[in-house]
Amino acid sequence: MKPPTPKRLAWICGSLSAILLIVVVVSLKVGAVPISMIDLVASLGRVAIGQSDQLPSEYSLIVFDIRLPRILLGILVGAALSVAGTGFQALLRNPLADPYVLGVSSGAALGAILSLIITSRASFAMPLAAFAGALATIAGVYFLGRRGGQIDTHTLLLAGIISASFLSAVIMFLMTTLSGGELRGIAFWLMGDLTSTKTPVGLGWLFTVLLVAIGAIYSTAADLNLLLSGEQEAMHLGVDVPRVKLVVYVSASLLTGLAVSVSGAIGYVGLLVPHVMRLLFGSDHRLLIPATALGGAIAIVVADTLARTIVSPTELPVGAMTAMAGAPVFIYLLRRRLQ
Amino acid sequence: MLKLPFRRFVRFTLLAALAVPAAALAGTQAPASPPSTPLPSKIEVTDEVGRRVSVPVPVRRIVSLAPNLTETVYALGAQDRLVGVTDFCDYPPEARQKTSVGGAVNPSIEQIVALKPDLVLAQAITMNRRETVDALERLGIPVYSANSRSVDGILDSTRYIADLIGAGDASAVLLKSLRARLDDLKLRLAGRPLRRVLFVVWSDPLVSIGRQTFIADALRLAGAESIIETEQDWPRLSLEEVVRLQPEFLVFASSHSESVRTTVEDLSERSGWRSLDAIRQRRIAAISDAINRPAPRLVDALEDLARRLHPEAFADKQVPR
Amino acid sequence: MSNATLNTNAASTARSPAPAELRLSVEQASYSYAAADRPAPLFTLEATSLHARRQELVAIVGPNASGKSTLLRLISGALHPLSGRVQLDGFEVGKLDPRTRARRIAVVQQESPLLFPVRVDEFVLQGRHPYSQALRFETAEDLAIAEQSLAQVGAAHLRGRWMHRISGGEKQKVVLARALAQQPLLLLLDEPTLHLDIGAQVELLQQLRSLAQSHGYTIVVVTHELNLAAEFADQVALLHRGKCLRSGTPADVYRRDLLEQVFGAALEVETRPSGRPHVTPLARREDLPL
Repeated sequence: MKPPTPKRLAWICGSLSAILLIVVVVSLKVGAVPISMIDLVASLGRVAIGQSDQLPSEYSLIVFDIRLPRILLGILVGAALSVAGTGFQALLRNPLADPYVLGVSSGAALGAILSLIITSRASFAMPLAAFAGALATIAGVYFLGRRGGQIDTHTLLLAGIISASFLSAVIMFLMTTLSGGELRGIAFWLMGDLTSTKTPVGLGWLFTVLLVAIGAIYSTAADLNLLLSGEQEAMHLGVDVPRVKLVVYVSASLLTGLAVSVSGAIGYVGLLVPHVMRLLFGSDHRLLIPATALGGAIAIVVADTLARTIVSPTELPVGAMTAMAGAPVFIYLLRRRLQ
Repeated sequence: MLKLPFRRFVRFTLLAALAVPAAALAGTQAPASPPSTPLPSKIEVTDEVGRRVSVPVPVRRIVSLAPNLTETVYALGAQDRLVGVTDFCDYPPEARQKTSVGGAVNPSIEQIVALKPDLVLAQAITMNRRETVDALERLGIPVYSANSRSVDGILDSTRYIADLIGAGDASAVLLKSLRARLDDLKLRLAGRPLRRVLFVVWSDPLVSIGRQTFIADALRLAGAESIIETEQDWPRLSLEEVVRLQPEFLVFASSHSESVRTTVEDLSERSGWRSLDAIRQRRIAAISDAINRPAPRLVDALEDLARRLHPEAFADKQVPR
Repeated sequence: MSNATLNTNAASTARSPAPAELRLSVEQASYSYAAADRPAPLFTLEATSLHARRQELVAIVGPNASGKSTLLRLISGALHPLSGRVQLDGFEVGKLDPRTRARRIAVVQQESPLLFPVRVDEFVLQGRHPYSQALRFETAEDLAIAEQSLAQVGAAHLRGRWMHRISGGEKQKVVLARALAQQPLLLLLDEPTLHLDIGAQVELLQQLRSLAQSHGYTIVVVTHELNLAAEFADQVALLHRGKCLRSGTPADVYRRDLLEQVFGAALEVETRPSGRPHVTPLARREDLPL
């Protein structure tokens, strides 16, 4: 097997991007309301040449105001969770690590619930409060997980797991004191929901943060390969271990906080997409990280599309879809490993 | 080294290519109105959760996002203008024939949009999510949220909705009749002590209703009071507390009286429940689940409950229906 | 070579060659730490000095827990000395950034288990990491050097194999190849002979010697094997309970009374025709009455 080259990277990114594009177009097309391919292409065409106000209004509404933002959000969340999962698996040297193992999602959920209780006005405050909760958890777990001034992997894992449990307990306590209607809203959010419409400015911001965080993790990709051999060995091979651990921890946690703040805790993606990509493209993080970003985006867009079409017009939460698909994939991967 | 910036640039462009059309469109989007009809006139109202809603006049196409609101629309005789309902809108049975937009909690926004409604009716807190209402508003679709905390509130709600959709006459008739029945009930029950009851929403875990629900209000009008006083809407209770309080009656709401009987049979064999006098002496009031819906039909269930709890107050009346 | 007492400090001044030739210079380096999970006493490595030139092979010997590995880690820069300093070609090892340090010092350790399966050639290629440029993909030159390193240790035939599927001895060679791929000035090996049979041990040491000659490496080996050290090392440092008791040529260091004191066993030391000593364990002391 030849070592990765920029050409191979380009090939992987190119083909996955192409698949993503196809998936996006299909997703724009299908839904509770059927839209013909012609109408879709015409709409896209009109937008491209700047004649957006001439579109038949209900189609433009459905495709561009409902489906497209949702798809974009799905891409964001899928990429964020998958890269975070890859990062944590490398950082904790544990193939079972997922983005939620260090408690970030519980912190975000707690933030959201607190904002609900305090302001009792969901819309704008919730994602911000969720993100604040995530940040607080990231800082807290970091300080708990340090040893001798730098991140100690075992301590970090313990700190994260304990934080997650504690926060979940607090959430459960608070949920019993919330009145019925709010509760339903939270439960939906906790399962993973892509329908919170974001403004384009909001989306732009989110994507910027996404790219920055993924870029930061990618800058340590070669180091991560070595880190998997052991911290001592990595250090002897020139890896600035404390710095790499910090960068990966902060970036992966930020990605998780980002995803959970906008869409709740969608499960399985952060755990499984890295493994599937490893099966396809190998364990070298210089290829793996971009591959998981795109692979995660594809996975979520597909899952969300299924979620809103399978029992149409009822919409399933995305988290339910990923869980249903995730379990068999997990079993498959497990069996492959054993061979 | 050019490779790193180049790759990022490519990916940024890919993403920008997707994000920019969305941005452009959202920016140019005007409040949606059905393109085929001329721009209707509008009235501004404040709905029952305090939102300002701009409703077109007249309202020709209505989507209901809650079963009780569907019932209300039918009761007002406006069902011809009802173009969309939820999967759970089952009363009257004809409502099932209408186009469904999905569940109450997770309806398909697309489907709602495709039906081109002039007005969407939502039931706050107990039924529909704030996110759904926000999403529809953002797309320029007016949503009127009803919020019923008392029986009077339900009647008022019916009137506001009637006014909005131009069914004022029908509502006047309906409400007059309903109010008359409630007044009659009040007379009959005057001076009689309120029966202490436990309204059982769910038996396992034991869930009842809180002080501020419309159900609690309905109980009062039916000559009963819930032994539980709490601000929470759906409190989980400990059986011990209920045993200590020993309600005179247990009230169950169900569409099938048969299932209530079996439930009670099962419960009578369980420890804790056994210690309840109401179970042992089978002082059970099983009423229609219309009591759970803030709609005109609730008054029927209310009367029924009153009859069971205070039979002597109705001695002179034949059982109607 | 004089037989003067080659004690710690004396050895460093008496033996140290002219500064220009000196590559590795450990001066009065000390370290101490406490085991985190035990209220045990601190382990201390007392001020130790050691010097080595190009093409020299130094062996650090001593019983268990004598501080051999600690000394090696001080030399590698993984630990910072509490006092004194460690210099490589005049640069303080602890002050170098990890990347630069990895280009000058390569460490062969008892390895940790691998998390994900990796091939031999990928593994050796990791040795080129300190040289990676911006995008961090390996160049053709990197590939060539990696191949060469494998060939140098005689493991070229293992190229396509998986690391977890080769034997212990083969793994040892591959790990050494990775270290060579770093193109270091200093090569450190911690107990490399542990799992090898005597044939493989000899082969390894011979290889190290020839590599030192051909590539100008300075090599420091921590080992248990007294005779192997005696046979192949230019210098030996004898550690005991955190102190370097003696350093010098094998002949200087392997004194019977000293060795018996350090290892607590009846030993016999003879000098071979080559001038190198040889240590033999005895069932009992021969010069004492039964």
